[in-house]
Amino acid sequence: MNDLNREAPQIMHIDLNSAFATTEQQAHPSLRGRPMGVTNRISKHCCVIAASYEAKALGIKVGMRLDEARVICPEFIILETDPPKYHYVYQKLCAMMKDYSPHVVMKSIDEGVMDFHGTLGTVHHRSLVDIGMEIKQRMRDEVGSWMRVNVGIGPNRFLAKQAAGLHKPDGLDVIDHTNLLDVYKSLQLTDLTGIASHFEARLNAANIFTPLQFLQATPDTLKRIVFHSVIGEDWHQRLRGFEVDDVTTKLGNVGRQFVLDRASADDAFLLPRFHYLCETTAMKLRYNNVDARGILVWASFQTGESWAQRKMFRSTFYTNHEVYRRALYLLNQRPKHMIIRAFGLTCYMLSPSNRSQMSMLDSVNREEWLTTAMDEINERYGTFVIHSADTVEAKNIVKQKIPFGSTRYFELLLKQG
Amino acid sequence: MDSEVIVNERVEVATIYRTGVDVSRICYPARMKYQGQVIEFTELGMRHPTAQGKRMVHVFEMSNGVNDYRLEFDAEALTWTLVAIREGKYERP
Repeated sequence: MNDLNREAPQIMHIDLNSAFATTEQQAHPSLRGRPMGVTNRISKHCCVIAASYEAKALGIKVGMRLDEARVICPEFIILETDPPKYHYVYQKLCAMMKDYSPHVVMKSIDEGVMDFHGTLGTVHHRSLVDIGMEIKQRMRDEVGSWMRVNVGIGPNRFLAKQAAGLHKPDGLDVIDHTNLLDVYKSLQLTDLTGIASHFEARLNAANIFTPLQFLQATPDTLKRIVFHSVIGEDWHQRLRGFEVDDVTTKLGNVGRQFVLDRASADDAFLLPRFHYLCETTAMKLRYNNVDARGILVWASFQTGESWAQRKMFRSTFYTNHEVYRRALYLLNQRPKHMIIRAFGLTCYMLSPSNRSQMSMLDSVNREEWLTTAMDEINERYGTFVIHSADTVEAKNIVKQKIPFGSTRYFELLLKQG
Repeated sequence: MDSEVIVNERVEVATIYRTGVDVSRICYPARMKYQGQVIEFTELGMRHPTAQGKRMVHVFEMSNGVNDYRLEFDAEALTWTLVAIREGKYERP
C-alpha cells in the first residue's frame, strides 16, 4: 500500500500492564508469582479491577467477581487498593518519561505517551528502542525488580499503543510502514484499540472481518456505511499511521455515583450517603476551579426501572451547601415509594470560577468564606477532617474509587486517603 | 489464602542510610524489635511517601523472606509504627 505514513516512528507508548497488581506484588514479596488481584472494597461480590499475570493465566479476568474468581482458583488473593502506592509509581513513571521528552501526556494512571517530534535529533542522538529499553531498566532499578513495562513505538498514538500490547507483560515493539501489514494480519478486529464488540458488529455488517480489510476500506465506506460520521475518516487515517488522536478534552461535567450498601427507600438511610456524594462533587468542582449551573440527579430502583431529574439554575454554585441544597430539591421529586439500588448526581454547564468576585449579599459571602475556611482546614490536616455532621456514617461507607479513565482526580483522591 | 494481621503498634527499628543509590532505596529499616523478637529484613519491597494533611509519612513495605511487614515512619514525630503483617509461606526447596 502506498498511502501509509512512512515517517520514522516518533511516538512512544508506555504501559504498566496489570499496574495495581504488579505494584502490590512489588511491595509484597510474598505475593510474587501467585494469583492475586486488587479491588476497591473487599466483599464477596466485589469486582477484580486488576489481576496479576499468574491469575490471568488461570483465566481470571478484570471485571470478574471475587466469588467467580475463587471458583477458578480457591487460593486467589484479593487486596484493597492503596492509592498512595500507585501514585508513587505513577509519579516515578511520569518523572522518567519527562527525562526524555518535553511532550508527555499521561493517558491514565498506568499509561502515558511521549512525543519525540522535534527533539530526537537535537537532544538524544539515540534510537527510540534504546530509550525504551532504558526506561524498562530504570523502572526495575528505581521502583523495583518486579516491575514490568510494555513499550510501543509507532508513527502515531494508535500504532504506538497497539505495539505496546503485542508482547505483554514485558515487551518492546515497533510498528511502522515496513511491518504494519504483517501486524494487522496477526490480529483480530477486537484486538485493535477502540474496537469492541459494538464497532465490530458494524464493521462486519459492511463485510469487514479482519484488520486488513478494515485498512483496505475506503474513507467513504467507513464514514457513510460503518460509522455514519467523520469518525470513519479518522479511522482511515489512524490505521495508516497518521495522527488524529493528539487532542485535549475539555471538562464537561463533574459528578459522583454510589451503589448502595443495601437497597432502601428510607430517607434516613439515603440522605447521609447522598449528602456525602454532594460534598465530594462540590470538592471536585473547587478542585477544578469551575462553577456549575446545572444539576442532574438520578436513581436506579430495585425493580430495574430508573428515574432522573435535571434543572438549570440562574446562578452558578460550587459550595458544599449549595450543591446539596439544589440536588436535594431534585432528589425529593423522585417516586418516594420506590426502593433505590444506586443513585448519583452530575453537575454540568461548567464555567471558570468567579470566586474572587464578592457578592452584594452578605449571606452568600458568609457561605463562601465558610467553604474556604473548611477547605483550608482540610488541606492542612487531611480531607474530611471537618465535614457535615450527617455524613459521618457515609464517609466510612462511600469510598472514592480509583479513577481509571484519567488522572484528573488522583491528587484529590490521595488527600481523601 | 490471604492473611493480613493489622498491628498498629510503635516498634523499635534500626535503619540503614546509604549513598550512591536511587532515592527510593536511600534509607530503609534493617531490623525491628516486635514483641521481644528481633526481625531481620531481607528485602525492601517498596517505599512510598504519603501525606496525612501536611504531615509526611513514609511507608516501607519490607520482607524477612517469609512474611511481609508494612512499617510507617512519621517524618514529623520521628516514630516507627508496625501497621500490618502479611503472612507468607515457607517454600519447599
